[in-house]
Amino acid sequence: MNALDHNATATSDIAVELVDVYKTFRQKQRSERLLDTLSSMLRPKVREVRALRGVNLQIRRGEVVAYAGPNGAGKSTTVKLLSGLLSPDSGSVRSLGMDPVRERARYVSRIGVVFGQRTELWIDHPVAASFEWKRVVWDIPRQRYEHMKGLMQEVLGLGDFFNSLTRELSLGQKMRAELGLALLHEPEILFLDEPTLGLDVLAKRMILDFIKHLNQTQQVTIMVTSHDMAELEQLAGRIVMIDQGAIAFDGSFVRLRQDVTDQRQLVLETAETVPPVLHGATLVKSEIGRHEYVFDAAQTRIATLLEQAASQTQILDVETHRAPIDEVIADIYRAWRKP
Amino acid sequence: MADNLADTTIIESAAPARRTGMLWRILRLWRMYAALDLAFIAADLKLACIYVFSDAITSIALVTGMLLLAERFAGIGPWSQIQIIFMLGYATTVSGLLNTFFGYNVLMISRRIGRGQLDHTLIQPQPMLVSLLTEGFVPFSGSANLLCGIGLLIWAMAGLALPITTGWIVLLLINIFASVASVLAFSFLWGSLAFWAPRAAEEISSSATQLLDQLKSFPLDGLSPVLLGGLMTVVPVGMVAWSPCRALLGIDAAPYAGWITPFVALLLSLFTILIFRKGMHNYERTGSQRYSNLGHRG
Repeated sequence: MNALDHNATATSDIAVELVDVYKTFRQKQRSERLLDTLSSMLRPKVREVRALRGVNLQIRRGEVVAYAGPNGAGKSTTVKLLSGLLSPDSGSVRSLGMDPVRERARYVSRIGVVFGQRTELWIDHPVAASFEWKRVVWDIPRQRYEHMKGLMQEVLGLGDFFNSLTRELSLGQKMRAELGLALLHEPEILFLDEPTLGLDVLAKRMILDFIKHLNQTQQVTIMVTSHDMAELEQLAGRIVMIDQGAIAFDGSFVRLRQDVTDQRQLVLETAETVPPVLHGATLVKSEIGRHEYVFDAAQTRIATLLEQAASQTQILDVETHRAPIDEVIADIYRAWRKP
Repeated sequence: MADNLADTTIIESAAPARRTGMLWRILRLWRMYAALDLAFIAADLKLACIYVFSDAITSIALVTGMLLLAERFAGIGPWSQIQIIFMLGYATTVSGLLNTFFGYNVLMISRRIGRGQLDHTLIQPQPMLVSLLTEGFVPFSGSANLLCGIGLLIWAMAGLALPITTGWIVLLLINIFASVASVLAFSFLWGSLAFWAPRAAEEISSSATQLLDQLKSFPLDGLSPVLLGGLMTVVPVGMVAWSPCRALLGIDAAPYAGWITPFVALLLSLFTILIFRKGMHNYERTGSQRYSNLGHRG
């Protein structure tokens, strides 16, 4: 699981580059015991949390990268480093050829950041007021502003609620407005931290379609973190997985499935209620002539399994499915957690 | 999304502070924040009137006690009634300016730091100083105190025996500016603690400014030199109104009296900048460990 299957390219083609980045946080430890509490006032107990351990990462211009990992893996720390909100303990962070912290003001004018649980919108004002605020603070030329505003209204469907108070909007509407606001100054890179958190299926669909559209038509480099793996798979060709502060996988989703296991599901409907015995597949469930198996497609050919089944019973229907990406990732996380 | 991103004017927006002068930018931002504030007021005029009216009542209530004392005893110590009114007007004007220019918890900076809201400031493409100087500008919803203060000042100035010259007006404005800077610096100085203790110190700026607010109207004459020294430096209550008003009204006749407050404000501001910068370096290393959007933009 340490594959780095993307090739290094010319520096000018690189939008984001992290080289051997380390970041450690210190957490004060507290105890429920009174004596410990008193003694910790004099000698606080501190635990070091290694958020990032030698992270190396390159993202090419125009690429969409899914950045995934379990809670506390270091995803948000990476996004904060790349947003100029945090500096590394050691190593180098470069984005658009700049140091995000040292050249903050210049750098942030060229990136967009959306934190799923935070808002840049002015909640007691209409969405339109937040857009106008952004125009002035980001010093967006009027013509470009009008163009982008119209574009965002059209593509994100902001027109219906553009003049409504932000605090009266639904979560999905707020996120659409948030995305529109983040893109108003035409950033070259967009960092999205859990952009669909808490959204319903329709709102999520709209946001995902928009992000894909944005990348395809504008070649905006996008780095997106999410816990929803199916969503990430739809968005990005490349997934970078981080675990305990280190990159554990960097490659395509196809490679990820192959590297872990090409687990598939086989569902057979047969004339008899007794499930056929298939070598190379495990029976998961069987009820009234419908039998579910799982098998590793890299080890066992599906044709072999069907031949075995056909020799034992009459097959009425066949379904095969790839294992959902969530399950693949869950298996990976479980494997990482094993001592 | 018809246009190509490549033909856009990212370069134009890359360094706004360079393209326009800092002062021009601040004025432009103030205008925009004033428009936002006006829109906020206009959205519910009845509510806004109640809001401003109650603010004005609170502000009058704050100075009434001292006003009645001055009336009852025909002045306090070396201060005549009209001089007390001048000091109250001065103190209220200082509070009013702070409320008008540093709303949205800019004055209560420890709340912004402690709640992790500096991140919002840091992703804006401009120096942090510009953001902090402009983001809290609420000239319509936050100016009740200021109007009361100016009213009291004009009333007092009309009754003062002093010749009101241009030089005196300039000194008055410099001292008001210095008093505002002192309170702001004091709040930021204590508020910087929130960089190291975000939860414990979240409300410390509020406590610090309340301390100054509650004591600002008291004439400090007659206090021991040690206590007075403390109230002029460690807790600069004397800088909010007492010391500058003594100088402006001629109670303190020393030629340098009118420059004490600007001098202390300068020292306090420089020290605060030093500590705040250290805090920012710490923030850069540790980031915000907690986040709450309370009081942020609404």
